Amino acid sequence: MTLARTRRIVQGLFLALFLFLFIQTESKGTDELGWPVRLFLDVDPLIALTTSLASRRAEGLFWPALVLAGLTALLGRIFCGWVCPLGTLNNLAGGLRTTRPNPPGAGGFRVKYYVLLGLIGMSLFGVQLAGILDPISLTIRSLSLALYPAASIAATSLFDAICRLNLPLVTPASEAVYGLLQKTVLPFRQPWSAQGVFIGLTFLGLLALNLVQRRFWCRFLCPLGALLGLLSRRSVLRRSVSEECDSCGACVGVCQADAVPAGKDRWRASECLLCSNCDDACPKNAVSFGLMKGRPRGGLDLGRRKVMASIFAGAFAVPLLRISPLARPRMSDAKLIRPPGALAETTFLQSCVRCGECMKVCITGGLQPTLLEAGLEGLWTPVLVPRIGYCEFGCTLCGQVCPTGAIRKLPLERKQQERLGHAAIDRGRCLPFAHATPCIVCEEICPTPKKAIWLEQVAVKDRNGRPIRLQQPHVDLAACIGCGACEKHCPVVGQPAIYVTSAGESREEEHQILLQPPPAAPAK
Amino acid sequence: MKRFVAAGDVVVLKPNIGWDRAPQYAATTNPDVVGALAKLCYEAGAKKVRILDNPVNDARRCYRQSGIADAAATAGAEMVYMDGRKYRDVRLDGKALKSWPLYGEIFEADKVINVPVAKTHGLSGLTLGMKNWMGIMGGARFRVHQRLDESLVDLVRVIRPALTVLDAVRILTANGPTGGDLSDVKRLDTVVAGTDQVAVDSFGATLFGMKGSDIGSVRLAANAGLGVMDLSKLQIKKIGV
Repeated sequence: MTLARTRRIVQGLFLALFLFLFIQTESKGTDELGWPVRLFLDVDPLIALTTSLASRRAEGLFWPALVLAGLTALLGRIFCGWVCPLGTLNNLAGGLRTTRPNPPGAGGFRVKYYVLLGLIGMSLFGVQLAGILDPISLTIRSLSLALYPAASIAATSLFDAICRLNLPLVTPASEAVYGLLQKTVLPFRQPWSAQGVFIGLTFLGLLALNLVQRRFWCRFLCPLGALLGLLSRRSVLRRSVSEECDSCGACVGVCQADAVPAGKDRWRASECLLCSNCDDACPKNAVSFGLMKGRPRGGLDLGRRKVMASIFAGAFAVPLLRISPLARPRMSDAKLIRPPGALAETTFLQSCVRCGECMKVCITGGLQPTLLEAGLEGLWTPVLVPRIGYCEFGCTLCGQVCPTGAIRKLPLERKQQERLGHAAIDRGRCLPFAHATPCIVCEEICPTPKKAIWLEQVAVKDRNGRPIRLQQPHVDLAACIGCGACEKHCPVVGQPAIYVTSAGESREEEHQILLQPPPAAPAK
Repeated sequence: MKRFVAAGDVVVLKPNIGWDRAPQYAATTNPDVVGALAKLCYEAGAKKVRILDNPVNDARRCYRQSGIADAAATAGAEMVYMDGRKYRDVRLDGKALKSWPLYGEIFEADKVINVPVAKTHGLSGLTLGMKNWMGIMGGARFRVHQRLDESLVDLVRVIRPALTVLDAVRILTANGPTGGDLSDVKRLDTVVAGTDQVAVDSFGATLFGMKGSDIGSVRLAANAGLGVMDLSKLQIKKIGV
């Protein structure tokens, strides 16, 4: 078996593991998931680096990333070539390109380093946007918010159609298959995603770039690849070419990156994905990989001016982004309801890598990606949209899957007192207030042990002057945690008669309404 | 149980699993009651016992946290997650509801046993057996609160359980129907069973120191001739265990 075939099997296994953990990022009725679902994010050094730089927090959470960084320094970019799920998907998409490979670009591979330096420049000054481009984050987000929901809706529509046809043999068989899929890979409930099309097309577009050049993303754009490239410049696992080489150029064409621009001697350690294609392709069997001492020859010259320009560009983006009032307390969007346990907005934005794990795991599907509600700096961060799904009282899963602690992992008793905001009643739409019609749904549904919505017995009159006794709801700010269950179930369609805003949210001192807001229980 | 379940029957148990609460909060039917009933059904020769509800909170959590999923597994009964395709519009021609999407299995099963838990409720006063039928409603069911009592009676007109077993092992005396505070829970260690769902609810009201006539749906259902409200006209057997 050639090394390249071994590599493909390993890639397949890691992709399978990645997808398995993704599927497992779903509640099974308890408050534990049972699998280390964020494993790939945990080992990602780009997330670790930019998050700790931007938020100035380490909190002991990034040691798995150090393991990968160390491994890369020793062995080179094996993660890119053998492990990364997006790399493997790029390989698969690259199979669609049937024409001869493009000759390696002049210096296009350097672009990803400038991207990386720009992101680091930003994070040095407190803006964390690396998650937008980080391949692990990008892939999980695209799956969570676009491809998986789309696959689910496609499967459901297909099986529903066969079910309606009610064909002998066919329908029972398809129902059995559907039942099996529902128990294994399909989501428990159809996930809805506010920006599925946008995020999904972006992802498919990135895969389509393989038609221009195989592994386009990995060669030219990936900031994690760039970081691992920088780390691998002195790796000891290196390529050597024997005297047999007659510079036929076979290796140049099969290289998955731009690591062997001129065949024989020039080899860029920082670009090599250790895919071993060149080893397999060499007709003279002149290429081999092995452990070597000393300094490698091919360096990585990024150009001092360009390096400085990239860092400055990133740094300059910081004040530009910060002009937005939306990330400021008391000026933020009233509907910017963050998940329970989210850090105060500034630190939250510095920590959130927009991986979409919280939105994937959200039991009601209420966590949605923002577009511009939190400014461009907050793009694709999670916001609770109660009309889509409320925050389930007994659930702490979003805090458990967050890879950076942007959503803290709160103990359940503590989370149940964490205010996401407060509910408010629109008396112009509320049935008992505006229309003398009985309705107590918000009170019925309210999950706090002492209901935050209480009912007042009143006597009102209808248009004919007939007296009617009914109950009108009121919100007790001391008890309301802003979970949004009332908003979700309010029978007034469209603009609900009771709705939550972030006013009063625990995480933001300046967002309190009451002079003496109820204290949260101390964590046990 | 042999009086109510015949050999080979498919039996649907409809407990109240509407909320994501542990059994001790009395927001959901006691799992021991559900488990015992499932076991009795099998002993009476039932072919299959299926347990279902359309919960308000997440179904996965409700089934697990209520303890009913575990009780069902022990008894060999099947927990059924509601399948959106199995609701069908049922003509009710009632006072409040003309027709409504209801869960088909309730009508397809050979026998249905209603297994509610006794709790307070902001609008209906108490939620007992008849109110439990909201858990088989699809559609925009929160709209029925505008004429709740009449709507419940409309449902009772078409849903005829073989038996109603009201769980009052623990009752929720305030902050219902969701609960969440143990000081609102009262332990009665009582189970009320009957074939007349109106009578069971009427008796259930007495557990809270109320009368059947205090509950709108009981009063209306009795007036409509769907059951007996007046406890003095009933044969009530009290069995101590």
